[in-house]
Amino acid sequence: MIGSALLASVKVTATATIAIVVVGLMLGLLLARARFFGRTALEALITLPLVLPPTVVGYYLLLFLGSGGPLKEWLSIDVVFTWQAAAFASFVVGLPLMVQSAKASIAGVDPILENAARTLGSSEVGVFFRVTLPLARRGVIAGAVLGGARALGEFGATLMVAGSIPGRTQTMPLLIYDAVQRRDYGTANLLVLVMTAIAFLSLWAVRRVGSS
Amino acid sequence: MSRLSVDIEKSQGSFDLSVRLEVDTEIMVLFGPSGAGKTTTLESIAGLVTPDAGEIQFDEETFFRRSRPGGDRVDLPARKRRLGYVFQDYALFPHLTAAQNVAFSLRGEKGGGRERAGELLESMRISHLADRFPREMSGGQQQRVALARALASRPGILLLDEPFAAMERAMRERLQRDLRSLQSELRLVVLCVTHDLEDAFAVGHRLAVVHDGRVEQVGRVEEVLRRPRDRRAAELVGVRNVFQATVLEAGADGVVLDWDGLVVEAAAQHARVGERVPVYIRPEDVKVMYPDRSVAEALSANRFEGVVVDHHPTGDSTVLRADLPNGHEIEVRYPGYTYTSLTLETGRPVSICLRRDALVLLPARDPH
Repeated sequence: MIGSALLASVKVTATATIAIVVVGLMLGLLLARARFFGRTALEALITLPLVLPPTVVGYYLLLFLGSGGPLKEWLSIDVVFTWQAAAFASFVVGLPLMVQSAKASIAGVDPILENAARTLGSSEVGVFFRVTLPLARRGVIAGAVLGGARALGEFGATLMVAGSIPGRTQTMPLLIYDAVQRRDYGTANLLVLVMTAIAFLSLWAVRRVGSS
Repeated sequence: MSRLSVDIEKSQGSFDLSVRLEVDTEIMVLFGPSGAGKTTTLESIAGLVTPDAGEIQFDEETFFRRSRPGGDRVDLPARKRRLGYVFQDYALFPHLTAAQNVAFSLRGEKGGGRERAGELLESMRISHLADRFPREMSGGQQQRVALARALASRPGILLLDEPFAAMERAMRERLQRDLRSLQSELRLVVLCVTHDLEDAFAVGHRLAVVHDGRVEQVGRVEEVLRRPRDRRAAELVGVRNVFQATVLEAGADGVVLDWDGLVVEAAAQHARVGERVPVYIRPEDVKVMYPDRSVAEALSANRFEGVVVDHHPTGDSTVLRADLPNGHEIEVRYPGYTYTSLTLETGRPVSICLRRDALVLLPARDPH
């Protein structure tokens, strides 16, 4: 049971983290560099899962992914109660951490350096990958680690859209809840220790990246 | 012979830029106070800023064209204009070494341009810095790397924004020599922004005086200095304090000049006896002397008795013009709160001192 929960967590977290990094970078760049109508509103919307109760986020996700939601009605994709739904929930709650961190570090890159790259023949894509991203790397790495750690720890919203099906959608945090319910403290203790260690190491890594 | 022609308009809030300029294979200095629109002009040429209307043309290639705001336009992206841009404060990539900075534009070339980058560093005499990061280099060294980087892709145009600012004198002079020889060697069209008259004189073939978003006057450097088109151009270049003098003596102790009858001493600098050279002193370095007080060592030479022609406050300083015994006029600028005990009225005698260490001999230029 612990093995399958670990596997589910790895699968869900890896998928969510990749999505967090890709989408978070794009949104971070947009928010840091572009001026457009509704920018503040977009930023607030992205950050919302950070402050909303997990059940509220989960309920929104159900509306989006479940019966009557656009994904099912228009695209006939039904992901509710699958690991993909768990990954999506983890993505949504981890994203704001990545966006905030990426935005701040990209905003800190001197636009003159980007202009210098343009005069040296770089395309906009080249400017991003050769100048902006390397110079913003600390914030980007920190954001990815924090977002990933948050995705790993996702519980409430995941429970609502993916359930807690052992062997399929039951990730480590869900198994801990389940184990405590069953008074299986051996499993609970072990997993709590693992989760704490991962969280601690993530924070330590973020600090290391930030200060070096 | 290449030619860059610029005719652009751009309004930024209350500031209107309207610049018309033609630059050939030469060094054109854009000279003017800060806020005059010099940098915006460079950025427009480079494609980093979009003018509202106008045309920018380099030989047969159109960089930008738009007849009126909102009309059809050609706007070549910066990366396709293939010009070298040396930014103020250098703008070197802090995460790359000197060699990687120089090779930045050479990605497509074989070996990632490492060979060409090596050559360039060699020609700038900074091969030993190849593996250093910008933060490990002095300002002058960074400036050389920035210059090498701008020239790496063999551009036809080189734009420089205040390249000599905040640079110590020896380094500045060396860079100025380098820039001039690079320009003639590579047949470059060079546009160099500065607010420093000495820099303008040292590197420029021609000078464009920019003020308030407009080009006031364009001409050979000494021509603009000697014959400013109008009072404003004259004020901008501080022309009243440029005069022609003949070198009487030149040695390690200093230079002695004959300024149409007045003997003027200057600190040791490059000069040839018998040569007639332009000499410049900033109005801030001309001092009014109290008639009956002892003077500092630096002010003991070059004391002349003159007559006040005019004096008026400008902002926080006062500008005084005085006639000297040789018939020339000199401009003095001093903080408004000083010399209050002296009666500096038109027609009154005044004792003037040209600071010996502030007199600058400008290069006597062969016609371009």
